[in-house]
Amino acid sequence: MIAYTLLAGLLFGLYFSLVATGLNLVFGVMRLINLAHGDFLMLGAFLAYGLYTAAGVNPLYTIPAEIAAFMLAGIALYYAVVPRLLSSRDPEMLSFILLFGVSQIIEALAVIAFGNDQRAIPATVFGSRPVFLFGQSFPAAWVVSAAVSAIALLAVYVYLYHSRLGYATRAVMASRDEAASTGINVHRVSAVALGAGLALAATAGAFSAFMLGSIEPDMGIGITTVSFAVIVIGSLGNPLGTVLGGLVYGLGLMFMETYFPSWADLLPYVLLILILLVRPSGLLGKRVRLA
Amino acid sequence: MSPSALLRVERLSKRFGAFQALDGLSLEIAPGEILGLVGPNGSGKTTAINVISGVYLADTGTIRFDGRPIDGLPVYRRARMGINRTFQVPKPFRGLTVAENLEIAAVYSHADRGQVGKCLKFLDLDSLAGREAASLNSAQQKRLDLARALVCRPRLLLVDELGAGLNPAELQSMAQTLATIASSGVALLVVEHLLGFLRAVTSRVVVMDAGREIFEGPLDVAARDPQVIDVFLGG
Amino acid sequence: MFAALPFVYGNHALLFNMMMYLVLAQGINVLFGFTGYLPFGYVGFFGTGAYGASLAILLLHLPPLPALLVGAAAAALVGLILAPLLRLSGAYFAIASLAASEIVYYIVSNPHLTPITQGPYGISLVQAYNAGASYAVMVAVLALALGAVVYLRNSHLGLALQAIREEPISAGFAGINVVRERTRAWLLSAALAGLAGGAYAWHVSVFYPKPVFDLNISVFAIVFTLFGGVATLLGPIVGTLLLYGLYNWIGISQPEYFQLVFGIVIVVLVLFLPNGLVSLLRRIKIDVP
Repeated sequence: MIAYTLLAGLLFGLYFSLVATGLNLVFGVMRLINLAHGDFLMLGAFLAYGLYTAAGVNPLYTIPAEIAAFMLAGIALYYAVVPRLLSSRDPEMLSFILLFGVSQIIEALAVIAFGNDQRAIPATVFGSRPVFLFGQSFPAAWVVSAAVSAIALLAVYVYLYHSRLGYATRAVMASRDEAASTGINVHRVSAVALGAGLALAATAGAFSAFMLGSIEPDMGIGITTVSFAVIVIGSLGNPLGTVLGGLVYGLGLMFMETYFPSWADLLPYVLLILILLVRPSGLLGKRVRLA
Repeated sequence: MSPSALLRVERLSKRFGAFQALDGLSLEIAPGEILGLVGPNGSGKTTAINVISGVYLADTGTIRFDGRPIDGLPVYRRARMGINRTFQVPKPFRGLTVAENLEIAAVYSHADRGQVGKCLKFLDLDSLAGREAASLNSAQQKRLDLARALVCRPRLLLVDELGAGLNPAELQSMAQTLATIASSGVALLVVEHLLGFLRAVTSRVVVMDAGREIFEGPLDVAARDPQVIDVFLGG
Repeated sequence: MFAALPFVYGNHALLFNMMMYLVLAQGINVLFGFTGYLPFGYVGFFGTGAYGASLAILLLHLPPLPALLVGAAAAALVGLILAPLLRLSGAYFAIASLAASEIVYYIVSNPHLTPITQGPYGISLVQAYNAGASYAVMVAVLALALGAVVYLRNSHLGLALQAIREEPISAGFAGINVVRERTRAWLLSAALAGLAGGAYAWHVSVFYPKPVFDLNISVFAIVFTLFGGVATLLGPIVGTLLLYGLYNWIGISQPEYFQLVFGIVIVVLVLFLPNGLVSLLRRIKIDVP
């Protein structure tokens, strides 16, 4: 049973890393906590669901469309609100509250459009034969999700470390002012980052029906909280840290579900508080002593 | 090192991530003395003030005030002991009036209420007493910052780039103000870029570079010291 | 005023809930308006108060009024345990408080703890049910909440808290023990929610864990306060009356439309009127209590 738990933990860990990476990117570049992150994921999920029920499209193929659509949405959202927020007295809190408002709007629209019921995409869309890894059998859907997550994470890595825009993005993540003074268009980099963050969330959303059980309009806040826990564990703003955080969370969740199922729901919240109190800089962060 | 020093800093170090902001800084200030702290950008002057005033805790080294180590003390305790400061970008309580800014400091540092009136007058703020702090211009906010520090009756006042952004008349007035403060027995540590302003205020300086002191002595001697010149003009 | 209304207006449940939200909004006001911390998990204190009072009645067989105090004390105790969270800044504090509230909820509703907390089956206090007395108590709690805010508005403690909210570093240099004063505001805010929760528990007498730990309660209280204007006495009152009134008008039958309007209100508020409605009055130089 341990082998199963471990491997399942890794599969889910990869998925949660994907779920959280968008949030981390947005935070790293703009110091903005996107409270609507989970809701964008939910939109991605419903989009995949809609295309599946309407045209039988396998969620894998909806992903490119989702990436394009959410990228544009993110860029538009950025230019609509962020420059105004940055000139206010407390941009961090105000943007937090603003995105909460956005989250409410998205949820409400989703309920109006889709109703309150849970939806699901049958996992057999990837074939009904289980996949065998190291002697343990897993639903194909899990393995596909994990694989796509890994590819997406790799894509993010390549973008950040091997492309010019990615290099500029990392500069802004390190210091907004210094990046601006070297001629980088901070607004453009940030808008793209927000777009990418939403696109990543939507991509994760396409698979959420398999990994999270079912999709419903109010799943957003729970996902945002889990994502936040993951990125804090791995050190806010650190892309590699998010992967680590996701794996830690995935493994933890699997272990809880196997051995202490009725307490498993507590995991993200307890982890979050523990990390924030004990080691707020995360597993990969440097300690900074403040008075 | 003289035993009667009001402030004694020994081998203070502070690192932020990969950046070593302070690297074994040592200096001392006698009661009622005005010490200038100069150095190129990034030499650690503001960090030094932040650590001495308690905004950051040092990684290693000691700070003694009046002979007693104060290394772990939170800011409010240092303020009540008599250490106070101004900020490079003033930080008054913007939503409170000028008078309220000073009142709250008087109440919580257990100073006599009369101090509020005295400081308002001394820093030429009494006509602005009822105005919201946010509505003051930057020179006025600097004076408010200074007044707030003075209300707490400090024995050591750390002043961070007070001269920045002031016109010549304001500079002269500020130099006079600092001299008056010092003459009442308050020791001053003045971090400053404007050497003309500094010259009007003090004679002794410590020059910093890369987190530690490289020269200590009279200002004119510093201006002729080759190492100092190199640090300011070099890359 | 609320004491007189029940004799005139028939919908007592609405009046009671309105008072409850008024108390909660002022509780948020104490914390956010005066220290700048936004507790997304505020409902955790409400639920703790509800459970604290209920368990005091059920397990300790206390009469309702002392039980309410036990509820408030329980909420303050949870607040004390969570006080280290105040070290966190703005948004992290908000999310951490949400996490804390969820933890309390999961502990309280866990089936394993049913012998103590009745787990997911809810609380039933029918033997203590007294609609009139519990209504009166809520009026008293509201008076207490308003009194607390009036005190803060006019005292040095209130000024100090505002100073802490605007410039915590400068506040330290004004001799203010930032950590201690902030904790005081936090505990007061927690106790207010605890009292509201206890009164609620007594009034309805039968409830399940989920509704008393519902995130929407926190959200309503926060938005009502922000909408009206923080750090004033009138702001949260105006905000609660207007928005909760709106909720009762369209929200109960069509919650998703209310949620939409609510979200739009928040977005517009942040972008155009971050200091709430009363700041409009202040712009035309009317000073608001």
